[in-house]
Amino acid sequence: MVQTKLNFIVVDDSKLDCFIAEKIIKNTGISESIKSFLHAPEALEYIKSLPGDDSIRTIMLVDIQMPVMNGFEFVEAFEKLPDEITRNYTIYIISSSINENDLSRVHNYATVKQFLNKPLTSNNLAVLLA
Amino acid sequence: MDTPKKIKVLYIDDEQNNLNGFKATFRFDYTVLIAANVTQAYAHLNSHPDISVILCDQRMPEKTGVQFFEEMRDSFPEPVRMLITGYTDIESVIDAVNRGHIFRYIKKPWTDADIRSAIEEANKFYLTNTMLVAKNKELQSAYDELGKFAYSVTHDVRGPLLSILGALDLAKNMEDPAELRDILEMMEDAIHKLDEYIKNTHEYYKLKRGLLQFEVIDFNNVVKDIAALFRIAGRMDNIKFISNVVQNDEFLSDEISIKMILNNLLSNAFNYQRKDAAEKYVSVEIVVADNVATIKVKDNGIGIHESHINNIFTMFYRATSEETGSGLGLYNVKDALAKLSGEIEVASVVNEGTTFNVMIPGKANGTN
Repeated sequence: MVQTKLNFIVVDDSKLDCFIAEKIIKNTGISESIKSFLHAPEALEYIKSLPGDDSIRTIMLVDIQMPVMNGFEFVEAFEKLPDEITRNYTIYIISSSINENDLSRVHNYATVKQFLNKPLTSNNLAVLLA
Repeated sequence: MDTPKKIKVLYIDDEQNNLNGFKATFRFDYTVLIAANVTQAYAHLNSHPDISVILCDQRMPEKTGVQFFEEMRDSFPEPVRMLITGYTDIESVIDAVNRGHIFRYIKKPWTDADIRSAIEEANKFYLTNTMLVAKNKELQSAYDELGKFAYSVTHDVRGPLLSILGALDLAKNMEDPAELRDILEMMEDAIHKLDEYIKNTHEYYKLKRGLLQFEVIDFNNVVKDIAALFRIAGRMDNIKFISNVVQNDEFLSDEISIKMILNNLLSNAFNYQRKDAAEKYVSVEIVVADNVATIKVKDNGIGIHESHINNIFTMFYRATSEETGSGLGLYNVKDALAKLSGEIEVASVVNEGTTFNVMIPGKANGTN
């Protein structure tokens, strides 16, 4: 069986975490494209600039604690985008946070599928793509 | 010579003779304010926030002492209230104590000793209460900071650690030496970030707990020391550093605080440069005149957006995702300046640069 290809977007202010995510995603062999952003507003601009494309899904990994625009603010802004864009994305919040408020807040967002603990490993990425 | 502050007492009575007698008797021991009616009493309370004890006659024409106490205690909760009355009816006294939050009841005719001991007791109560209020405030702010610390520890300490863990996991299966080198360098950065956070935390505690130690500050040497550290660390590479110090007079201040302030401001100036800028510079100008040190730290870096500028001195606030930052540096700067009675101003334009202006008064010579 040939697995469907996926687009990936990583939003994390840590260069190292972006690098790790990119490597792990590349190793899965199912990525059509991988883009990472150190600044959440730039990721938002990028998503806005793309035409809605129902032929491919985009998996988005978003960190919580980022300066300027944090992960929750990013998701809130993302959810305001037109449906023909947002319906092609699946968001995972990925964070080092062990704060209960952060964890429970994740459920408030319809576009967020799950909370993941850092660090991202090939195993837990495989689990969520299965 | 410094004498201990006299207890400030307000006495309210509609009989002028009583007021005069009271003042004549106690003016040497206490600072006595007198009022013949409620209006005068309020005038005193408004202009003397440090009144610690109020004595009030129960029987007055406009309102009773109890009524007055009931009405004033919301606006002036600190002074300790005591009622003086010849009215020995126990019921009305109980009622007065219960309704008016009255500390003590003094029976007319009073003796000097009665009044004296009542005032001393009331003042002790006043001091304990006001100290408690101040301590509670301090505690609350310490709790708030602790909460912020606890939250930031998960991100600022756990974050880099988890990054390194993730990188290690990845590195185990890496074959290409060039790729391995890249990831090692990134791990090194993560460790530096963690170390910076720990150093800033240490600085914060040193500042909070430590007492200021005043000594003669030679700004030329201070700038030289700090610049040398930045140079050794390679932070000045490709960035022009300009310093200018004008100091003709002796200046007394706390060297640890001064160095910490300069170090943080310069560190930010070197850090937040535009990567593609052709002529990067950082300048520091220090002028000491009339026992005031004016410090100007200027760069032509990335600048701070106006929507963030009011928050940059807030604990753990980070206005940028550029470079490493703990969100403690400028908070520590502001804290140190508050201790030195100094001031700081910032002006910034995005992509043009940032200027910090600091004003620190020197400690006056010959005082302690």
